[in-house]
Amino acid sequence: MIPTDPDELDLLAGEYVLGTLEARHALEVKAALDHDPGLKAAVARWESRLNGLAALVPPEPPPPDLWSRVVQGIAEAGATPRVAYRRRRSRLLERPSFWRWTTAGFAAAAAALALLLVRPAPPPERYLAVLQTESTSPAWVVEGQAGGGIVLTALNPRQPEPGRALELWGQPPGATAPRSLGLIPPEGRVALDPTTVQPRPGMLIAISLEPPGGSPTGQPTGPILFVGRLEAVPR
Amino acid sequence: MFATVKAAAVSADEPGSLLLAVAARDQQALRRLYESEAPRLFAVALRILHDRSAAADALQEAFIQVWHHAGRWDPALGTARGWLTGLVRYRALDLARARGRETLSPEPLAEEVADDEPGALERLLAREESGRLAGCLETLDGKNRRMILLAFVDGFSHSQIAASVGVPLGTVKAWIRRGLMALRDCLEA
Repeated sequence: MIPTDPDELDLLAGEYVLGTLEARHALEVKAALDHDPGLKAAVARWESRLNGLAALVPPEPPPPDLWSRVVQGIAEAGATPRVAYRRRRSRLLERPSFWRWTTAGFAAAAAALALLLVRPAPPPERYLAVLQTESTSPAWVVEGQAGGGIVLTALNPRQPEPGRALELWGQPPGATAPRSLGLIPPEGRVALDPTTVQPRPGMLIAISLEPPGGSPTGQPTGPILFVGRLEAVPR
Repeated sequence: MFATVKAAAVSADEPGSLLLAVAARDQQALRRLYESEAPRLFAVALRILHDRSAAADALQEAFIQVWHHAGRWDPALGTARGWLTGLVRYRALDLARARGRETLSPEPLAEEVADDEPGALERLLAREESGRLAGCLETLDGKNRRMILLAFVDGFSHSQIAASVGVPLGTVKAWIRRGLMALRDCLEA
């Protein structure tokens, strides 16, 4: 049981961080953290008091394959990041860093909503990329806006050679690899909602030539035919 | 709102900036965070579990959690490094509990650092801005200090601490609580 007495609550939080609680009791505290802000804050305070003790342990290189296991574990957990939005304290909402760094999914939607409550929302920023190669005139336009998805339009629709498909890719700034945004249908128009892609300035958008059904590896296997970067449209 | 995203490019490899960039879904930042913090964190898990494979499991799960939940770190409540340490320790402690914590450390690190030699902890913690914590720990009774370090660093349960320090189980919990209160009061004085 989680005590209501503040002193008892604080000591329980200290024992939880220290690690002396038995399994059942520790689980109980862990489960209560999500809906007991007082307990959560007490645990955070104990973490900041005690966790510096970790410096007593001399560093030790982890097994060399561990990073690839982390990457694999993340991939298995689903390509779409799970962003659990929970109501945060207003102090956090007021902090500029929170706005600067909160981007994805529900958090951004909630942020936009919170902004609406305090002042008229500015129109969402619009993004545009023209995809081209060195040798051809502009062939595709990608449009998007903050908080929305993207729309790809072919300016000069043309079919890939028979037995090949065109696949669309997006790579946010800082990402190490592009992510497939799906195959491009013959009419050359694709509309993607924000659950598939969240456009950002600097995001790389590319089209590659792939086997029918798309790349078998999750990364472009054929030549990149068109590439461009999303840029913010000046207001 | 989105115009500021450009500033998200992380210039300093400081755990706090990297963690913020991870919250913004920057995979490269996760990689850099792993490279800079994994040796420290692996050592923490290994100290608790005494098993490289189990410690690797704890670290893997913790970094997957970092990817999904980096946004939960609140800079106002503690350092990024402390938050990461917490994630890894909770995973390691869960695994240790699941194994009944049967693996007692043959040579608890706490025994090496908790002796009564003045300044031993300060020297060890000096680099980590934890000098104040070390100073407060050294105000505790020697046995009490050893108990807290056995619990934190070596992941000992109450009964393991009782066996290691030679104090009846019933009193270990009370002493540790007293030690925690003394530490809290000292740190906030």
